[in-house]
Amino acid sequence: MNKKLKSVLQSRELLVLFLLFILIISTGLFNSNFLKANSIIEIFNTSLTLMLIAVGEMFVIITRGIDVSVAAITGLSAVVLGTTLNMGWPIALALLATIATGILAGAVNAVGVTFLKVPPIIMTLGTLGIYRGLMRIIAGGSWIERLPQNIKNPNIWRFLDIPFFVWLSIAIVIVTSIISFKYKKARYLYAVGDNANGAFLLGIPVKLSLFSAYTLAGLFSALAAIVYTSQIGFISMNAADGFELKAIAACVLGGVGLMGGVGTAIGAAIGALFLTAVRSMLVFLGIPGILDNAFAGAILLLVVYIDYRVRKSLEYKQIQARAQSEDSTNTGVNQ
Amino acid sequence: MLSKSKLKDKLSRAQSLLSLKNIWKMFSGVSVLKGINFTLHSGEIHALLGGNGSGKSTTMKIISGAYQPNAGSISISGKEVVISSPKIAHSLGIYMVPQEPYIFPHLSVFENLAMGLNIPKAKLEPKIAKALSGLDFKVDLSQEAGFLSIAQQQLLEIVRGLLRDVNILILDEPTSALTFKEVKQLFTFMRNLSNQGIGIIFISHRLNEVKEISDRISVLRDGQFVLDKATSETSTEELVQSMLPKDSLGFIEKQGQKLSKKDYANAKTVLNLSQLNSTVFKNINFNIKAAEVLGLAGLVGSGRTEIAEAILGIDKHATGQVEIDGKILNKRSVESCQKHGLVYVSEDRHAHGIFLDLPNLYTITASILSKLGNLVISKQKEEQIGQGFVSDLNIKVNDLYQDAGTLSGGNQQKVVLSKALATKPKIIILDEPTRGVDAAARQDVYRLIRKLTSESVAVLLISSEMNEIVDLSDRVIVMYRGKAVAEFSAEDINIKNITDASFGVR
Amino acid sequence: MRISKLLKSWEFALFILLVAEIIILGIINPIFLNLENLLYATLDFSHILLAALPLTLVIITAGIDISSVSVMGLSSIVLGLTWVAGAPIIVALGVALLVGTLAGLFNGVFTANTDVNPLVITLGSLFMFAGFAQGLPILLDKLNFKVAGSGGLAAYQYEGITGLPYSFTDIASTTIWLIPLPFIIVLVFAGILALLLHKTRFGRNLYQIGVNLDASHYSGIAVKKVLILVYIISGFGAALAGIILTAYFTSARADLGSDALLAIITAVVLGGSDILGGKGTILGTLLAGLVLGYLQQGLLAIGISGDIIQVVIGAVLIASLSIRAMINAISQRRQNQKTLLSRSSERR
Repeated sequence: MNKKLKSVLQSRELLVLFLLFILIISTGLFNSNFLKANSIIEIFNTSLTLMLIAVGEMFVIITRGIDVSVAAITGLSAVVLGTTLNMGWPIALALLATIATGILAGAVNAVGVTFLKVPPIIMTLGTLGIYRGLMRIIAGGSWIERLPQNIKNPNIWRFLDIPFFVWLSIAIVIVTSIISFKYKKARYLYAVGDNANGAFLLGIPVKLSLFSAYTLAGLFSALAAIVYTSQIGFISMNAADGFELKAIAACVLGGVGLMGGVGTAIGAAIGALFLTAVRSMLVFLGIPGILDNAFAGAILLLVVYIDYRVRKSLEYKQIQARAQSEDSTNTGVNQ
Repeated sequence: MLSKSKLKDKLSRAQSLLSLKNIWKMFSGVSVLKGINFTLHSGEIHALLGGNGSGKSTTMKIISGAYQPNAGSISISGKEVVISSPKIAHSLGIYMVPQEPYIFPHLSVFENLAMGLNIPKAKLEPKIAKALSGLDFKVDLSQEAGFLSIAQQQLLEIVRGLLRDVNILILDEPTSALTFKEVKQLFTFMRNLSNQGIGIIFISHRLNEVKEISDRISVLRDGQFVLDKATSETSTEELVQSMLPKDSLGFIEKQGQKLSKKDYANAKTVLNLSQLNSTVFKNINFNIKAAEVLGLAGLVGSGRTEIAEAILGIDKHATGQVEIDGKILNKRSVESCQKHGLVYVSEDRHAHGIFLDLPNLYTITASILSKLGNLVISKQKEEQIGQGFVSDLNIKVNDLYQDAGTLSGGNQQKVVLSKALATKPKIIILDEPTRGVDAAARQDVYRLIRKLTSESVAVLLISSEMNEIVDLSDRVIVMYRGKAVAEFSAEDINIKNITDASFGVR
Repeated sequence: MRISKLLKSWEFALFILLVAEIIILGIINPIFLNLENLLYATLDFSHILLAALPLTLVIITAGIDISSVSVMGLSSIVLGLTWVAGAPIIVALGVALLVGTLAGLFNGVFTANTDVNPLVITLGSLFMFAGFAQGLPILLDKLNFKVAGSGGLAAYQYEGITGLPYSFTDIASTTIWLIPLPFIIVLVFAGILALLLHKTRFGRNLYQIGVNLDASHYSGIAVKKVLILVYIISGFGAALAGIILTAYFTSARADLGSDALLAIITAVVLGGSDILGGKGTILGTLLAGLVLGYLQQGLLAIGISGDIIQVVIGAVLIASLSIRAMINAISQRRQNQKTLLSRSSERR
């Protein structure tokens, strides 16, 4: 029990949550408006697109891969949603087409990585170009506007003063976390990322696991597209541009290890929240919001650096402890 | 314990559980297995012996589905099968406990054990508890496996094997990190399994263990089986002979003299270690004189390599004082050691020594590039040096630009040795210099050591090969669990003394 | 022997590809075959090459630097601001190059001293440099510093810092023997990098670090110094690219080059560099950059939209790698088959 508590305290999720809390409080000290429930909820609401993309990205990073096409998938799916809606498809069918697009796009990445053996960063960089291009081709190069009201409605729905999408995203993140902790096949992703050879020798379907990780990333990117479209109400050709890198940053901030095997959906979500909050805070502090990228980058580097130092000292302690335990277990064995 | 005769009786009735016929395996055109045949009976503990690179691990990986053979057939209980993946192997009742533990460092011990098993948690838990208590393995199931010691990780791998209901269990050097007590418990377990009719393939380097536990012994050499006999019908001598490369029975040529007492007294101390400490070893003090071969013996994990790594500053946490050629090192680093005249040839050639995907010349000159021109590397000078080593050490290469990865183990080792020698060292630390090296190259290495000492170079020889230590060393220090427990010189240098000290028997 | 090796090399394949591409595009649209046009077209992708060439060195060490796209914008904006502040343009150029070098130094020191994945480090610095480039003029404006001369901040946000002296913007329009000056800079830079990579100790160390980092440490190679230097070179190249872009667009902007990442990495990978380190040549990257650049130009010239071109480039990237992986697998299998046949016949 004690050990568990300790590991929770050492977790990156908590470190970043704590940092976020401190930032919110100190921003509040400068400008008390920031602490009002509305602004906090607004930050949450704004972060949802990034949050969903980041959770999808997490699945890939856990397997020790990387996917830089996620935001392009969001853009492509959003265009499919907008186009089908404007063609008069019923909303359910349009949503289905959107999700299918995301899954298909993710599956293409998966084929490249698992079967063609293209390194993940190259494969997804290639599809990043392809999906962005396709998106523009489908949309005919112009914004998709005049979307039917039924797609914009969910954005207005509120329960207990909190937007429907916030509830929905929280639910998705929690359900995803529970599944990835309890569901055996979800644990395969962690095993594959932690030690791919070991997983293979234990008979775990390594290729299938990798395949599902990239496909899941596609699915979550499509979910993000739905939220994005509903919230914004139109689709620009730059939709979610640059979110691929932000999603990776959110994951790393939230403790998803690029070396594989470590990370949670909650961590990725907190990371996304953090990155979004930075911009609002700057505005409330009277610093040009356009500097938010600079702050986000600096915080990311700071966090990975702290993490590096902590990890190194932990590793050394681990070696010491191991040496001691070997000393004590091994004395007097040889007669 | 089951008597040998009873076992044999049982075996005669046993049917063949697994049989390999004319199996070939190649990597990049190099044959590792050359048409081997092998049979395992049910209820049999079949030991597999062979030197490094003899093809043991490859054979096991083929049986367990990690590799596919290029030719040949495998049958299980008389039926021909294709084992295309470990998953298929498991479904056929085959499980391999690999040599290095393949753990998931960030997952809990429980998850490490449960991974890949299709048993509900309620049924799995008692099963795990039973296996753990059977091996007397006490471990916190909820802790991350990365925190386990190497021995614990190895036990974890063994438990994985025991949890699977298998007909064929392969144990690839399961005892190398285990204590005496743990080995005994493992053996009891193995006997129980074999009594249930399970066939076990047991790979080990420890002949006494093999003779104790196995019913049958096969020896692989250079990708072919050279011996296959019931354990009771073979002797240690025969086993050793069969494992040795065909043309190296004389072992080491007795050429050159060891240091005389007078020479030794007059020789200059070139390396002096005092109060060297690290997490792995404690309070190491010794010195080496010019032209001396100091053997550093001991079991794997006794702290020999770690001493070398501390001297070179690779282990940054080690403390103590290192004096090379009369000068105390202020900052321990590979560069400063080289500058002062000390080089290290690591035991792990592939990880630390050689640049496999680059021309062999680029490994040879890797440590002396600064001497080949200020900014631009003088191609002429570099090739001259490379050519010198190729002919001096008899390295077999097509040309200097052949990728090092395409050379044989022995020639790769010579390339790595050339890299060290190119720095013109006063002290050279050789860590397992003949591991995975063929007989002829082995003799070349021994000749080289003699030649170095004749040129007043001091050699610190770290080796697990007793004969090497005994025949080459002027003085021997034996490590046991991180401590220098014994020092021998002159006539006291013999296999018995060193073995006793290595196992802590004093 | 030598010639057959040359003919089998990836660089030669790229060269053939380049020639074939120009011929095919020329058949479709003869204007394309005009030498002057061909050379002039390099203006559109010189900045890609200036960033891709040094990135080759980084990737050979098994590293990566994605921050170069931000360094382009950063150096551009710094150049503009320094000039607006009243410094001579030559000083502004120096400051811009210095900023790029410092950005590289930052990446290099971070990479060399930690085991953090360079992708994460340069991802962080990509944001940091981009944010800084975007925020700097606004920050300065808040401090009552006129960033864009008389036009003020509003004009800046619309068109960047304009009014740069002709002596500078002429860089983009000057030609020497028909060759645009930016492309000459590319060639000179490529020449210097090729010498560094293939003739010097530094270059050798790059390959060694990429092939086997541990063995490099054990061999006494100054790994940290080499890594820091290679990221500095990458930052310098990106700054050079930013300067060329500024001259080409005759205005200094924070977002110059920000969409070039795909093209830059595609050039390096298509050029034969292995993202896992240890492989790559300057010539390969140069040729691959030309292949890609002309592909883009050619497709545009025959009326294919930029959107489809992006799809094509992405597909080229993936195809080039999967084809090479397949060739490797097949040749490996063939080699094994051959040995097996010869060995078993030997035994009979």
